[in-house]
Amino acid sequence: MGAVTDDEVIRKRLLIDGDGAGDDRRINVLLKSFTKWCNSPATPEEGFTQYQRMLGTLAQCEFSMGKTLMVYDMNLREMENYEKIYTNIEQNITSAHEKIAECKKEIQRAKRIRKNRQEYDALAKVIQQHPDRHETLKQLEALDKELQQLSHIKENVDAKLELRKKQFHVLLSTIQELQQTLENDEKSDNDDNNQESPAENGE
Amino acid sequence: MSVFSQSFSPCGRFLAAGNNYGEIALFSLSAALSPDATGLSQKPVLTFTAHEGPVFSLLSTDCHLLSAGNGEVSAWNDTTTRFHRPSRVDTSLTVCLCFRSSLEIPEINSMTINSRDNSLIVGGGDNNLHVLDLEHGVFKAVLQGHSDYVHCVTMREREAEILSGGEDGAVRMWDSRTAQSVHCIDVYKYESCARPQFGKWISCLTTDSDWMLCGGGPSLSLWHLRSLSPTSTFPLSGCQRQAAFYQDMILAVGEGPFVSHCLLGGDVKAQIPCSPQSLNTLQLNTNSTEHRVLTVGGSSAHIDVFTNLSYRAFSLSF
Repeated sequence: MGAVTDDEVIRKRLLIDGDGAGDDRRINVLLKSFTKWCNSPATPEEGFTQYQRMLGTLAQCEFSMGKTLMVYDMNLREMENYEKIYTNIEQNITSAHEKIAECKKEIQRAKRIRKNRQEYDALAKVIQQHPDRHETLKQLEALDKELQQLSHIKENVDAKLELRKKQFHVLLSTIQELQQTLENDEKSDNDDNNQESPAENGE
Repeated sequence: MSVFSQSFSPCGRFLAAGNNYGEIALFSLSAALSPDATGLSQKPVLTFTAHEGPVFSLLSTDCHLLSAGNGEVSAWNDTTTRFHRPSRVDTSLTVCLCFRSSLEIPEINSMTINSRDNSLIVGGGDNNLHVLDLEHGVFKAVLQGHSDYVHCVTMREREAEILSGGEDGAVRMWDSRTAQSVHCIDVYKYESCARPQFGKWISCLTTDSDWMLCGGGPSLSLWHLRSLSPTSTFPLSGCQRQAAFYQDMILAVGEGPFVSHCLLGGDVKAQIPCSPQSLNTLQLNTNSTEHRVLTVGGSSAHIDVFTNLSYRAFSLSF
């Protein structure tokens, strides 16, 4: 746009209004007819008609000028309107950008959460394969009790065994002592007999 | 030609890819993704021969591009950040791994960086993992335990552990400070993942400290690392070669001309078709916000670039 030369401008103006077929021509014609009317020695009716005609042309010129002014106003207002829309759209764009950034962050967070959930699920699958903790605890308790009972029984049996052992020991030792005493008595009896007989022989 | 490895530059504007001829090509992502990209911008800006054998693994540090060839790791000066357009790369450091038998030099399959103590962990054909100190260029430790060669190595950042998967079907977890094996998971022994018709080798391993994805012979499965139990198995038909965690999804590539998107629960959400017949490597550009792309490479000279994960945007060619 900045490269438009003077030639272009002149050419455009000539194209639009070259031969004066428009407002420019009307003003020129008005000026000519005004000077003619001022300088014409014509009759008052002709002068009056000419005057009316000039007024008409003047009114036309004013009308067209009014129209162009209105169009100019309208353009200015359109420009304002467009500026407003433009800033509005720019704001929308920036807010959309921000929303996009937010959503991207959300997506990252959601992906992380999803990854964590999948990890939990995977671990849960493995954990499910192992038996329940309560079950195992109960089994352990039952086994403990059994173990206690059995050790109790074992103690009892041991104690009984000890007792019997001791009793047998007592019995056997008493028997042995008795045997010993009987042997001793026998021996002493024999000795007595032996002593008596040599004593009898010696007499 | 097969593309075996890829790596994005730290600024996120360049992609380095290594192929089976030992060449590394640098592609400019900013040129390829710009609105006025031509066919020329999908060609590499620089190609050079890095090693004699295939380049199975590429890694980018802040100032170097590390590439692994047969028994050696080379560090290339990354001239991209200085000149914004690489004109020349030269080796600043080549380290040869010393192997017990020098008759055959095993290849290096995978590398990863332990950022805590600035060391590089290398796993390859000699069944061991070697830990190299990047500052001094000397080897710090050897992690022995695998009975067959190591396919893939990755770091578990939070607990400073190294995970490695190998041909022997075992995923081993090593403590990076004591260099001892902490756990050993035989994936093929678990009925839910085992696929005896494919074998027991593990070629794909990735972790995000709590969960681990491993696959290969056995089907791709998600494991919970603290309880060392498999939580879900993915019904993918081929053997998976690389997988990655991305937001709430899992991306996996392997046999078959597509990228599989799966959910953590074990469902395959989508399979996006791509040009190579089978894929070897998958990389997500997380270093740059405006060039956030996914690139996959495999058994063809084309590297597919996905700007939106749902469809292939264009291909870079070697």
